[in-house]
Amino acid sequence: MPRGNELIRSSQRFEKNIARLQALAADAILIGTFGLMIEFLVVVFSCRRGPTGLLITSEEALGVLHYAWMAAGAVILAFAWNLFASWIGASPGRALIRGVPEWEREIDWTHTLRGWFTVLFIEMTFFSGWLITEVDLPSFFTKFSKASNIVHGLVHPSGAVLHQGLVLLVQTVFLAFMATAFAIPPAFALSFAAARNLTRSNRFSRLMYTAVRTGMNFTRAVEPLVWALIFISWVGIGPFAGVLALWVHSIAALTKLYSESVESIDPGPVEAITATGAGTLQILRYGVVPQIIPPYLSFTIYRWDINVRMSTIIGFVGGGGIGYILKPRVDLGEWGQVGTLVLLIAVTVWLMDLISAKIRERIV
Amino acid sequence: MSEGLAIRIEGLGKVFDGRIRALSGIDLEVREREFLVVLGLSGSGKSTLLRCINRLIDPTEGRIWIFGEEITAAKGAQLRRLRRQIAMIFQQFNIVRRHSAVTNVLSGTLGRASLLPSLFLKFPQSEQERAVAALERVGLGGRERHRADTLSGGQQQRVAIARALLQEPKLILADEPVASLDPALRHSVMRHIEALNKDEGLTVVCSLHDVDLVRRYATRVVALRDGHLVWQGRPHDLNRDTYKEIYGTEAEPATNATI
Repeated sequence: MPRGNELIRSSQRFEKNIARLQALAADAILIGTFGLMIEFLVVVFSCRRGPTGLLITSEEALGVLHYAWMAAGAVILAFAWNLFASWIGASPGRALIRGVPEWEREIDWTHTLRGWFTVLFIEMTFFSGWLITEVDLPSFFTKFSKASNIVHGLVHPSGAVLHQGLVLLVQTVFLAFMATAFAIPPAFALSFAAARNLTRSNRFSRLMYTAVRTGMNFTRAVEPLVWALIFISWVGIGPFAGVLALWVHSIAALTKLYSESVESIDPGPVEAITATGAGTLQILRYGVVPQIIPPYLSFTIYRWDINVRMSTIIGFVGGGGIGYILKPRVDLGEWGQVGTLVLLIAVTVWLMDLISAKIRERIV
Repeated sequence: MSEGLAIRIEGLGKVFDGRIRALSGIDLEVREREFLVVLGLSGSGKSTLLRCINRLIDPTEGRIWIFGEEITAAKGAQLRRLRRQIAMIFQQFNIVRRHSAVTNVLSGTLGRASLLPSLFLKFPQSEQERAVAALERVGLGGRERHRADTLSGGQQQRVAIARALLQEPKLILADEPVASLDPALRHSVMRHIEALNKDEGLTVVCSLHDVDLVRRYATRVVALRDGHLVWQGRPHDLNRDTYKEIYGTEAEPATNATI
């Protein structure tokens, strides 16, 4: 079938061109970032004393950089590097996306432009990072006294909120449990659609894979805090809003973890069941499901553990649980009571961690 | 299509990922009740050939007929119906490790089982009785409820043979069925496959490494080298020269003793 071979060749060409474009894009991003970091350092050091004698803040310095020009320059330089790669060596983007050509692998990094670029890039990142986050070691080492009353409160917990704290702690644990439990069925169903090894067969399944993966990545990228705000206006302040917020985030996270364990199964039983003439659902039930039950249980317990931690923050905005009474105490500066609540959370998280580790050890 | 032909292969070729050629220009006919052994080095295309026959791998060139029906053109329900006639035995056994021996054997009936009960691991009483009998036949009576991963390698492969038996196939594909077993256990597994061939009248296509086994069980031999069919003949026609042709001169010293 010559037609098949032609299709294969053209798809190969297509993939190679895609890889070239990706390498070019990676180069442009790296070179652009490099240029911006240099400009940032120049701006900060040249403006060290402004007219008022004040230092420029990192936000101001970042605000005056020439992003558009740098991007344009970076694209041109990326093109040039890839064009003249046979003289100056492979570009970092090429090394990342397609790997370095055979003849360049033996060359020591100190003898390549790419090597020097990488080293300088890492150093620049650290220096600019230091200035962008305004690292201030003197304050860190000399001004502890300003925080001493908070620390004092934390280590002298007050008993005033102990009862209420314990009650809400129970709510927190159940909130996390319900969010996890509700997330299992949808995540279980979606995990098969989001596993690469099960979605190669036809166009529809490949499309489904991309759709589910993209949707889940997007959902996971949105903080649970934001989901909490959405659900608080939807169902009102209280633990149920917290359950829903953690539920959405858990579906996305569990789908990812589940589908990765589907991807790492032994393909042997799947082959064997397929060979009996079984249908898709039967292949999943016999070839896939028995292999993924232990990792699924382990990931689910791990997720419950994470949800307990997250529900504290969810409570801050009104999603129920212990976080709900923590926020006003922080605002009022009741550090003793804050200390009690923080201690309760810490002990619970520590216990959950311990128990879930034990159970996971048992299962796997 | 002539009567009595189990498999007919015409111009079969397979290219993986558009780059790696595993098979080219294979023409082969297998008659019913034959015990055909496929010889060849690892990577010569034996596994790919077997998997093309039941479409676990889709060929890129050529056509294959199973008992006169073209499997390379089959889709969906028709493909599953054709696969039901072809049981497969694997080098790594490929049984479901967390299921019991009897559930593994019953999974051979999935091609004809009704969907919903099978998803809950439920099978008709008659099938269950047949599964127990099949396990007894391969010498695993009384181990029905043992979890598959508690069984030894030889026992696991016999569970796989019982599974193939319950599939009620007309054709058996065996991909290096004894390569991961102790040499001492090889005959016990091969004898069960031989019984399927002789007593049940099933056609067997089996890839093997060991020339002793080939001589003992095969009725006909074909050899693959770099994806090409390089030799075919009777098992007793295998001699030093044909062996060199199949395996190349470099492989000779290691296997000298068996020739």
